[in-house]
Amino acid sequence: MAEVRFGKAVNMALDDALAADPTVILFGEDVAEAGGPFGVTRGLLEKYGDRRVRDTPISEAAIVGAAVGAAMSGLKPIVEIMFMDFVAIAMDAMVNQAAKARFMFGGQCSVPMVLRTPHGGGVNAGPQHSQCLEAWFAHIPGLKVVVPSNPSDANRLLRAAIADPDPIVFVENKAMYSLKGEFDESSEPIEIGKAYVARAGNDVTIVSYGAAVNTALQAADKLASRNISVEVVDLRSIQPWDEEAVLASLSRTHRLVVLHEAVTAFGVGAEIVARMSDIGFDELDAPIKRVGAPFMPTPFAKSLESQYLPNAEDVIAAVEQVLA
Amino acid sequence: MSPAKSDNSVPKSRLLEFYEQMLLVREAENRLSKLFADGEVPGFIHLSVGQEAVCVGVTSALKREDTLASNHRGHGHALSKGVELNSFFLEIMGKEEGICGGRGGSMHVADMSVGMLGANGIVGAGIPLAVGSALAHQVRENGAIAAAFFGDGALAEGVLHESFNLAALWKLPILFVCENNGWSEFSPTDRQFGANVRELAGVFGIPSDYVDGDDVLDVHDAASDLVTAIRAGEGPRVLECVTHRVRGHFEGDSQKYRAEDEMNSLSNHDPIAKLESVISKRRIPKKEVAAIREKIDAKINAAVEAGRAGNAPDFDRAQADVYTAVRGV
Amino acid sequence: MSHVTNLNMPKLGLTMTEGTISEWMISPGASFKKDDVVLVVETEKIANEIEAPADGVLHDILVEAGETVAVGAPLANWDVGAAVMFEAAVEGEDAAATTPEPAKEIAAATTSIEVTKITARGVESKRIIATPLARRIARQNDIDLADISGSGPKGRIKAEDVHAAIAGGTSRAAQSSGVTVTSPDVLPDRRAATSYETAAARRLTEAKRDTPHFYLSTEVDAAALLALRQQLNADNEGLRISVNHLIIAAVARALQENETANCVWRDGEIMTYGTTDIGMAVNTEKGLFAPVLKNIGNFGIASIAEAARELAERARSGQLSSDDLSGGAATISNAGMFDVTYMGSIINPGQSSILGVGSIREIFRPDEDGQPELKQEMGLVLSCDHRIFDGVSGLTFLNSIKANLEKPLRLLVN
Repeated sequence: MAEVRFGKAVNMALDDALAADPTVILFGEDVAEAGGPFGVTRGLLEKYGDRRVRDTPISEAAIVGAAVGAAMSGLKPIVEIMFMDFVAIAMDAMVNQAAKARFMFGGQCSVPMVLRTPHGGGVNAGPQHSQCLEAWFAHIPGLKVVVPSNPSDANRLLRAAIADPDPIVFVENKAMYSLKGEFDESSEPIEIGKAYVARAGNDVTIVSYGAAVNTALQAADKLASRNISVEVVDLRSIQPWDEEAVLASLSRTHRLVVLHEAVTAFGVGAEIVARMSDIGFDELDAPIKRVGAPFMPTPFAKSLESQYLPNAEDVIAAVEQVLA
Repeated sequence: MSPAKSDNSVPKSRLLEFYEQMLLVREAENRLSKLFADGEVPGFIHLSVGQEAVCVGVTSALKREDTLASNHRGHGHALSKGVELNSFFLEIMGKEEGICGGRGGSMHVADMSVGMLGANGIVGAGIPLAVGSALAHQVRENGAIAAAFFGDGALAEGVLHESFNLAALWKLPILFVCENNGWSEFSPTDRQFGANVRELAGVFGIPSDYVDGDDVLDVHDAASDLVTAIRAGEGPRVLECVTHRVRGHFEGDSQKYRAEDEMNSLSNHDPIAKLESVISKRRIPKKEVAAIREKIDAKINAAVEAGRAGNAPDFDRAQADVYTAVRGV
Repeated sequence: MSHVTNLNMPKLGLTMTEGTISEWMISPGASFKKDDVVLVVETEKIANEIEAPADGVLHDILVEAGETVAVGAPLANWDVGAAVMFEAAVEGEDAAATTPEPAKEIAAATTSIEVTKITARGVESKRIIATPLARRIARQNDIDLADISGSGPKGRIKAEDVHAAIAGGTSRAAQSSGVTVTSPDVLPDRRAATSYETAAARRLTEAKRDTPHFYLSTEVDAAALLALRQQLNADNEGLRISVNHLIIAAVARALQENETANCVWRDGEIMTYGTTDIGMAVNTEKGLFAPVLKNIGNFGIASIAEAARELAERARSGQLSSDDLSGGAATISNAGMFDVTYMGSIINPGQSSILGVGSIREIFRPDEDGQPELKQEMGLVLSCDHRIFDGVSGLTFLNSIKANLEKPLRLLVN
């Protein structure tokens, strides 16, 4: 098994998909000649040519709209939105078109497209280049939302996403692009909608996704030295999300902390908490805690941003509260 | 504008074909209007009465494998692209047997089997879909083209400008059809858009044409020329069809905002009356025309009866169809 | 303007979850001055006098003397002026989780009528705060949650409290099965456990269950110890030194020599005491207490004796403060006055060891020539918390105590 960086793992999945299926095409701002703003699509133009790997103008609405139309006409487009913040301009295509085509046309067609986009802070990118907006999409029936937490998952989930017949928002945490991880190239794609127990434990369950899973694992390490045994569940995809797996873990530990980098209020965690307080009510031996960003825009200054982002200490404090 | 064709150059069968198609759209919409008033059609319906020459003239220049993205005023686009009449009525009447299972209704009639990518409830939103569809044709090299139908009300939408730019940059096989009826929903377009669609196309280097959208023969000829260039790989084209909206923005709109003389002059622009006068000049027997009328009436009566006989959609089936069923599940 | 607020059951110690009202010192309607004792609250450990924070008037008494209620539950309403109203309102908020409706009483605190009305409803039916899991386990085991006091935040009953209750036999099923084996006309005598008994039962159950105990035992040759005591008492008429005082001194010195023994496990962290504090089991009419001798590291034997005597006296007269009952890593439980060879004790919650001291016995042991020699021996059992001690560190500590007791002269040298 080799060590691969997160960005390279994504690149390898794109490369495989372009090689395997002539209907897969890739387009977005600066993805071809420049190889992508984070270098994730580097080398693909040279390998697959400018018919299938295309630079677009800075036209988010047209990029995503065209992806939907192409997907309805026999292609499997993969488009990139340079920063997740920019999807605000392309929401109609995702929310009103891609998400609904299958349903409102009576199942006549599906929209097999993938929208890749980086979210997350930690790089001092400020209020319009750091947001975690995945909850917007998870709220829309017809869309799927996948958020990998490590290089291997990024590759295996992206391959599954490209093969999936429905529109998928594939969210990559930009702070993770250079993160290295073990990756077995022969590994299978991961089924979308299935969570993974990243660390087994008995006293409390932390449910998370994306880069925050690593924060949860750090917290679990620290808590282990205090004889607190933490189970970390990596959702991998938040729409659909694996409520059976979360319920199963809660039924073992009876205590739940939900962690994400996104703003806590009205976030993905709110849905998980609501659902578990319903189907998992009798398993709960403590209130469920959420850990996430405060209700404010992502600040720019290093000192502000480091306080803004949820960290292992925040998770530990939440775990202590549910264990009280 | 393309040079006026001698009416005599058009075969009689073509004239009657156009006539039958336009009449089908007209009578279908007239019936929908009545069904809507009678409460048999729920929701919103936006009628294209007065604009039938555009959809028939353009789609007659397209092939079945070509794709078309439409807008909220899309009944004519759907029917002339080949959506089957019974399933069309079943859909708009909200029935399980409708072309979209009763889940879309008037604003979302689609039929992938005839390249109808759907009417659309969002102004301008179908345009980038057609661009994407054209991209698919280009990449797949299948010889097909895409057409985007939009009204002048969509001209101020940014995504139209983005779509023109993208189509021009990538030389996509797409025909942009602007049905210019002068009205952006409830407002005159000259107070909403400072340029015009042909100037806009010119900015992006897209060649365009301009026709009387009430004349189906002109529309067809202009569209055919543009489609030929598009199929030859010359990139996108824009066709502006100046036409007239007889009904309100949607059924129930009393159009108090339109001047009386404008309303009174609408009958002078009726594309079906125009074609009837051509037919009459060609001395085609009246009974042939009458036979077409009867045929259309019979088809629509049958479609309405089919619509009435349709079943209410099943909720569970609808709910289970938000995502593609995973194999083995 | 009147500022009627609730007087709530105060939290008088870190572990206090409920209290019993011993006595109201002020009658309803009577006024009082700042620092007057308003009532006496008995907790698991001690009787506490609750003093008025300001001049005021006591209105209705909601909980009569003799009743036990959770921390935060309203006991009375009183008017102690605007100065403390905010504080009282905050306490009311704290109580929200333990009583019905009182969340509203904060908003209602501005008018005395609403306060009275809402609080009265609160007293009628005490809402039980328990986690969903605790409720489920209680339901499945036929346990009445009203019989359980919670160890969670704001007295919330958690699953472990219900498990403890099941282990302790609060189960109605267990009770009824007990009845069936008893002859119907010779029913066992029953009474409600006192607040002290209930609390002690819970604390001991928790301690035995949550602290991983292990036990080390040895015998101490007490000859030198007894000889020293005799000499000391012969020299000084005013202050009698007991064996127990010498054992305290021996343990104090051993604590100074073994840092591990002065450590405790606290919420996943290891805390080391900087001072030499030793708990001392004292039997009283109310039951067993273990007040702590504080900072006796530099005390001579006479000072230890004096401090121990004074502390025991206060324990017997019910005058211990919460401070007397906190701190220390080790406790000595001396059963020397009874007939016992070895006593393995339960470590007090929050501490890491307890030394059980048996009575001094005469026993023949072989001397160097293998001939029987009469010895006076004392059995020691050190109960250790395995989270702090391992076998080696436990033995080192015990041997250190043993050495100090067998060569007690060193206890006289500071």
